[in-house]
Amino acid sequence: MQKGLIMLQIFFVTFKGILRDRVFRGIMMAGVLFPLIPSISSLSMRQVTELSISLSLSLLSFTLLLLSIFLGGTSLWKDIERRYTFSVLSLPLTRASFLVGKFFGIAAFIVLTTAILGLIASAVIWSSAGVYPSLRPFVWTNIVLAFFFCSLKYILVIAVSFLISAVSTSFFLPIFGTISLFIVGSATQEVYDYLHSSTVLTVSPFVKNIANTLYYLLPNFSAFDFEVNAVYGISPSLSGMIWICVYFVIYTAVMLALSAVIFSRREMQ
Amino acid sequence: MNSRVLLPILISSYLLVLFPFTTYMKNKPFVEKMGYVPSPEFMRLVSADQKQALAAALMMKTMIYYGGLVERAKNQIAVTVDYPGIFQALSACVKLDPYNMDAYYFAQAVLVWDAQQVEMANDLLKYGMRYRDWDYYLPYFAGFNYAFFLKDYANAAIYYKRAGELLGTDLPMNLAGRYMYESGRTDMAISYLTTMIRGAGNEAVKQSLQTRLKAFQSVRTVEQAKEAYRGKFNRHPASVDELLGKGYLKELPVDPYGGTFYIDNQGMVRSTSKFAFGVVKK
Repeated sequence: MQKGLIMLQIFFVTFKGILRDRVFRGIMMAGVLFPLIPSISSLSMRQVTELSISLSLSLLSFTLLLLSIFLGGTSLWKDIERRYTFSVLSLPLTRASFLVGKFFGIAAFIVLTTAILGLIASAVIWSSAGVYPSLRPFVWTNIVLAFFFCSLKYILVIAVSFLISAVSTSFFLPIFGTISLFIVGSATQEVYDYLHSSTVLTVSPFVKNIANTLYYLLPNFSAFDFEVNAVYGISPSLSGMIWICVYFVIYTAVMLALSAVIFSRREMQ
Repeated sequence: MNSRVLLPILISSYLLVLFPFTTYMKNKPFVEKMGYVPSPEFMRLVSADQKQALAAALMMKTMIYYGGLVERAKNQIAVTVDYPGIFQALSACVKLDPYNMDAYYFAQAVLVWDAQQVEMANDLLKYGMRYRDWDYYLPYFAGFNYAFFLKDYANAAIYYKRAGELLGTDLPMNLAGRYMYESGRTDMAISYLTTMIRGAGNEAVKQSLQTRLKAFQSVRTVEQAKEAYRGKFNRHPASVDELLGKGYLKELPVDPYGGTFYIDNQGMVRSTSKFAFGVVKK
């Protein structure tokens, strides 16, 4: 019971710490870019509203990417560097609970940022759609779904960055490791589809096996991309969305469990 | 040095350099090059969830390049158009975002007429139809290309029918029926170009289409005069001047491409410009 309460405190301390670090001001800088989207989109010939949805989602995704990489990748490092970890871990709290509490603190911040930037993006999309009505009626549900899955994707990125941070709490390895895994994890589906298409004739079994292994091993970030559905009003499949949510929960849990095991066993100096 | 002294010096230096710097930047020649477009497969791999934004950026690059060309053509400056580069950018764009209407529209508005790559444009349109299965514009464009450029009326009918089904009227099909006759081809082009102009958001593309529409309207005027002449004399007039001399034409219609109208051996109205700015044409 007490452990649970301390973990909850870690969650709140992490969340408040991010706010105290004035990360939100940085995000508002990105928010300032949103009102520029309608004028950039008006350069499109035939799909002004579509382009404003696309650019809004891109900007949201990019902001969340930076946040998840830097907050996820530096959080453990900063705490150890500031010797904060030692005082916290002297409390009746396992290292695993400490790590999970921190993870949820950052994840909650990602959800909050998605909600706020999502609202700003919706206002931008609404104004674009009013000035340049699209031939294709846009579906708000799809846009909200795209925000939601974008948020899940970056929570998964945080889980990945925690795993790397648990292995090495240097500043650079978690940051660059997470960026690399994000790029590879976004491309594995593409590579897998390409290698299994009928157009490919000359690929050695070795390359194919490596691609397959990476495909099953690394997180599949492309699954969370609902931009086409949001931009062009294409209905997503319900069963597909359920599978993605289940995949998200299990993969994140595995990442956290692995991080907790590694973090619990490592030497703290 | 004291910062109270240093800062005003630096700010004054900045203000001094600002004017020549911005003058230089304003007068710097605009780089009118399509440049290198990486392979779409590579871009798909590295662009994560930014594929639509990247496709839009490629379209923007293409339109800026084309806008510069239209400006040059108006000023009668000779340039070689990088059509392969434009094709590469457009096909990369639709591979990144197969729903991107700007790419299909641009291919149809510009490349079909200027580069005469009709079959390539039709391939692009057919690719787009697989994704934009609600959009009547794509089959309408393909139908037009088959009828007008390729004179393949069987295929034209298939696509006009498809456009009609998506639009919920028989209009494209009925128009197509009328256009199957050689004499109706100018009307077909006028109707098609009017539809295209209605949807043109980009000024350079709009100007290019309006010029072509003016050319076809002039051709139509000469054709009508020619038909009236033929009705009376039962033969084609020898020249446009003859139509003018006998009062069938009140004034000589202007070819916006700078050419002169003439009537060829088959009695067809042609222009010495071949309806393209010689300087822009490759």
